Amino acid sequence: MASEKTDVVAESLLVKTTPRLSALGFFMALPPMLLVICFVGLPILIAFTFSLGFTTGPNRVVSIIGQEIHKKDHWWGTFGAYKDVFHDSRFPGDLRTTLLVTFMATVLVLIMALGIGIYQRMIGGRLAGVMTTLTLVPLFVPVVIASWAIHTFYAGDGFMRTLFSHFGINFPTLTSTVSAIIIGTIWTSLPFAILMVTSGLQSIPDALIETAQDAGAGFFRIIRTVLVPLAITPIVIAGTFTAIGIMGSFTIPLFLGPNQPTMLGVEIANFFGAYNRPQQSIVMAFVVFAAASGIALVYIWANVRSAKQSGRI
Amino acid sequence: MLKKKYASVLVAASLVALALGAGVPSSQAASKTIQVYISADTNIQDLWVKTLVPAFKADNPGYDVNVTFDLHGDHDAQETAKLTAAFALHKDAGADLIDGGFVQQLGSSGVLYKATAALVPNIADVGRTVLAAGKGGIPYRASSVLLAYNSTTVPNPPKTLDALLAWIKAHPGKFTYNVPSGGGSGYAFVQTVVDKYMSAADRKTLALSANKDLQSKWAPGLAMLRSLNKYTYGQNGTYPANNAETLKDLATGLVDMASVWSDQFASAVKAGTMPSNIKVTQIANPTFTGGAAYLGIPRTSKNLESAQLLANWVLSPAAQNLIVSGTLNGMPVIPVSKLDPTVGAGLKGVDVANLRPTYLSANSNDLKSAWASAVPGK
Repeated sequence: MASEKTDVVAESLLVKTTPRLSALGFFMALPPMLLVICFVGLPILIAFTFSLGFTTGPNRVVSIIGQEIHKKDHWWGTFGAYKDVFHDSRFPGDLRTTLLVTFMATVLVLIMALGIGIYQRMIGGRLAGVMTTLTLVPLFVPVVIASWAIHTFYAGDGFMRTLFSHFGINFPTLTSTVSAIIIGTIWTSLPFAILMVTSGLQSIPDALIETAQDAGAGFFRIIRTVLVPLAITPIVIAGTFTAIGIMGSFTIPLFLGPNQPTMLGVEIANFFGAYNRPQQSIVMAFVVFAAASGIALVYIWANVRSAKQSGRI
Repeated sequence: MLKKKYASVLVAASLVALALGAGVPSSQAASKTIQVYISADTNIQDLWVKTLVPAFKADNPGYDVNVTFDLHGDHDAQETAKLTAAFALHKDAGADLIDGGFVQQLGSSGVLYKATAALVPNIADVGRTVLAAGKGGIPYRASSVLLAYNSTTVPNPPKTLDALLAWIKAHPGKFTYNVPSGGGSGYAFVQTVVDKYMSAADRKTLALSANKDLQSKWAPGLAMLRSLNKYTYGQNGTYPANNAETLKDLATGLVDMASVWSDQFASAVKAGTMPSNIKVTQIANPTFTGGAAYLGIPRTSKNLESAQLLANWVLSPAAQNLIVSGTLNGMPVIPVSKLDPTVGAGLKGVDVANLRPTYLSANSNDLKSAWASAVPGK
């Protein structure tokens, strides 16, 4: 009854103030829209034309200064820079490393986030609260500092090797390996995934879990058939955000990874800066963009699924 | 009601204007504040901010210097683009004096005022070769790459490049050099090994002009560097990321030998971060590269007279003393005889004109890329 009343009030408010509110809303939404169009959308478009060999207009200066520039030889441009990149002996290794790190780190982050989330949801208590809070600490440590800390921890003269050498064990030097990149990316990605996954699991009503328990379902059966399916949307969203973030990471692979092959984020910076090949670096950026779009599709699927479930579409 | 609507439009519009306008610097009239843009390592930042600028301000009351710093030259390409574009459009690029590896490139494309005695009178004291290599830039300090070694474990360091390469293979895991794109000390080692297989004429051509055909002659040198993967620190084809990491590996005893910048090494010794048993020496046949660092005054500068004053002051014996004796421990570009005798004492036999030059940036960029393709992780 009460809710019906508020609905009526809200509706009438909407009707009365629609023109003014919509104008105000439009102008409130305008600055971010303009910002995205001017400072993200247009530069992407210009960069895309540059990658195809359009070297005049806004691309004139960069094409004067850059090396290995391909100028367009058809009306639509040229694939010269794309050929350069796809024939470069570094590119397959870089792409493989990028995809491998993204996949491994995302899977591990999700498993760990689920572990914490399920522990807190099913068992709860003071310890679970403390643990969840502790896992959020990386959120407040800048990435540069974290990666340098990890570097000194696993380096040739680092803590782990020093500690193990006291027991006569030769602990491997992990810096300059892909494993170190995965460790570093897990550290930085974990807090956000935990926030998403735990909040998703918390929103599952106690009644459902208790019903399953009454029906004789065991711990793992409840996880498999109740918790994970009901929280799948936040889990997928956490996974896609984590994967896209890792795919574009720069600082961690730069500090912790091998010189070659490296992740595309570092290679793009190398091509743009050290080798002065802006066109090729943009081509690589578009490859990362395409791969991230693939992940974004999963994100959209998850959102559509949750919207359908709640009856919004 | 209507008023409110317009007010909100106005607010939104001014917000947009603010967002769009925030990045555009207001044009500045000729002033006594000199905008200096530096692209280098932190030791050069310290040289300007802690040593040169305070001394300049003390000598020239009323003047102020605003330093913009770009660590490791990460934005060299963008800054070059910005200055070139500003020059083409006759706009102020916001820099009156530039110190960076790209000054010669700007000089050869005519973006800078040419370094002559008319522009900077004190340039008369600078050697002709050094001046010519600047392509219009104003040489103001020099440094060289040297071989650092642990004198406890290596009592007799190698004297030539061949001896050094033999030593590296005889002592696996005890030598390193950093990624050439990450710092000049590692780059110098790479160029020196590559140069070993090239004639003096070819080396000179690559130092003066972009040349793709000669680059094919890098192959034997790169093959040699690849064969060192098993013997350098890590023994798996990984290399330190930058100059600082190389110095750290030396100081902590991870390696016994590495290529280092003369000035960075001297600063580390003075600061106490480098143990006293680590010493430096130069090798021969060929020597490691080195050379002058150059300043440039962009033709777009709205503040030419003040920039001239600062550049001229930097070449004065007083400022050159500071470059040699301060935290930088650099080499002067004016004759040692003009320096304070106590400062000049440690520089016997140093002649900036004899330093072996680095390739022109177009070639050195390609060498960095070629190294990354051919050497690490192979």
